[in-house]
Amino acid sequence: MTLGQLAFKDLLRNPTRLLLTVLATGIGVLAFVFLQTVISVFYSGLAVTQPDRLAVRSKISITQPLPLSYKRRIESVPGVTRITYAGWFGGRMSETREDFFPNFYVDKATYLKVYDEYVAPADQLAAWMADPCGAMAGKSLAERFDWQIGDRVTLKNAVYPGEWTFTVRGIYAGRTPQIDTTLFAFGYRCINERLPEELRDYVGIYTIVVDDPARSAQVAAQIDAMFANSAYPTRTESERSFQMSFIAMSSAILTAVRIVAYGVLLILLLVVGNTLAMNVREKTVDLATLRALGFRRRHVAALVLVESLVIGLAGAAVGLLLAPPVLSGFVRVVSESFGPIGTVVITGPTYALALGASVGVALLAGLLPALRAARLQVAEGLRRIA
Amino acid sequence: MSEAAQVSVAPIVRLRDVSKAYFRAGMRLPVLEHVDLEIAEGSFIAFMGPSGSGKSTLLNLISGLDRPTEGVVEVAGRDLGRLSDGELAEWRAANVGFIFQLYNLIPVLTAAENVELPLLLAPLNRAERRRHVAAALDLVGLSPRVHHRPTQLSGGEQQRVAIARAIVTDPRLIIADEPTGDLDRKGAEQVLDMLQELHRALRRTIVMVTHDPHAAERADLVRHLEKGRLL
Repeated sequence: MTLGQLAFKDLLRNPTRLLLTVLATGIGVLAFVFLQTVISVFYSGLAVTQPDRLAVRSKISITQPLPLSYKRRIESVPGVTRITYAGWFGGRMSETREDFFPNFYVDKATYLKVYDEYVAPADQLAAWMADPCGAMAGKSLAERFDWQIGDRVTLKNAVYPGEWTFTVRGIYAGRTPQIDTTLFAFGYRCINERLPEELRDYVGIYTIVVDDPARSAQVAAQIDAMFANSAYPTRTESERSFQMSFIAMSSAILTAVRIVAYGVLLILLLVVGNTLAMNVREKTVDLATLRALGFRRRHVAALVLVESLVIGLAGAAVGLLLAPPVLSGFVRVVSESFGPIGTVVITGPTYALALGASVGVALLAGLLPALRAARLQVAEGLRRIA
Repeated sequence: MSEAAQVSVAPIVRLRDVSKAYFRAGMRLPVLEHVDLEIAEGSFIAFMGPSGSGKSTLLNLISGLDRPTEGVVEVAGRDLGRLSDGELAEWRAANVGFIFQLYNLIPVLTAAENVELPLLLAPLNRAERRRHVAAALDLVGLSPRVHHRPTQLSGGEQQRVAIARAIVTDPRLIIADEPTGDLDRKGAEQVLDMLQELHRALRRTIVMVTHDPHAAERADLVRHLEKGRLL
């Protein structure tokens, strides 16, 4: 036997309690991962933002369009190397919310030169480029509706009245798992040509790529100055800031979710702390016996901390193993009832945070019982009846 | 053996004007008062006295589990009052073997593992530890029960495991606190036979506290305590 084996055997003193504590910790970790993932879904747009990409939108409101004629003027600004534009279409296949999916018009000629995180087979790309009403669907979206290349999708729209039929020409994937694959993109030309005169030649936002991210602020100021006194003033900001403006709309919800997530950790702290305190109380005589035999304060403290560490690690393992199936089940149920909720993946940082939080909380919970065990008066401890 | 004969050998335990008091709610509660004592190396001494007379406190002071309020406790050549907590723990591991009334075996460990516990602190490899454990369990006649847990052993057997644990490091001093207090007559006799054998064969110093006059008879010397004073 070694000191490590002694610690391990000591763990199995009350296996039922240990199992229940590990399960409770696992469920806590699962809840934490779940809530953190919900938060990360909101921030997933930030994960794919590029420091050299800027969004040019209407200064008045994100819903206000900008003239198509701005394209040439913006790309003439020194430092701008690439430009594209896009806009929210907002079409629906039916009135039911289950059918909802995000759909956009884009400038096909330039879009993928700016957003190179979307990838599709070359033949599909070529077919998409060649057909103005050809659409590129994300992999998740295509799977959801079982769309194949060549399928036709008809959308109705209140902003752009009438029925709009698009042909699926390509199915894209993301370069990384965080990339949203629930989008539907078709050519601006397809709708612009059919619009009434007064709605024609306006786009939602421009996205530009600058040659030097360090000069982003300077380029942005130059663009905004150019249109400051026009009927359509602009606001140019980093892609990150642009995404943050969407997230800010849900800040109250996100704060509440964060509070609940950290509340879960606090509950874990109390559950594990209570278990460890109970264990130390129950084995006071044994700890005193070990001290009498010559074990030092640090040895008995280590026994308690090893127990808390094992609870933290085992709880994290249970929670992290359960998280992917539980989360994908949740996404499926929510998607069926309320429509798609974007690409939901448990990110590496979320795994790391959950593992760290579980182990950290367990060790923190073990600190006080470990100190108590270490400070135990041997003679007094031996007097206690087991 | 007479008391004079005992102290003619170099004392392993020497207490000089030792007092111990506890403080509860601002009040001083004396437990031992002005105790002077010498115990010769290799002797078997029993302390008797009514409950609250200070027997266990005296045992705790001698074994380095507690510190005196006043006076000097010298055991095996060390002034225990001068040792730090860590030094005291190290000293106990090297010099003292404990036998408790309720055996104090760790319930999740087998007999062999319980005996091995004190050896985990010694600079021995696994094979050496196993050899020592086997020898100690053989000495107390429990070789066939090495893999049994305390709950699978009778009270007498558990106390024999505790004796094996007490002697496995070959300490100079064995402290036995009511070693037969929780045993039936037969088990008690076996344990007392074993203590006597250890004393005779290995010349270990045994300091025992007991309520049982029959158990005390096995010692070379019996001292009585009353109201914190050594009679």
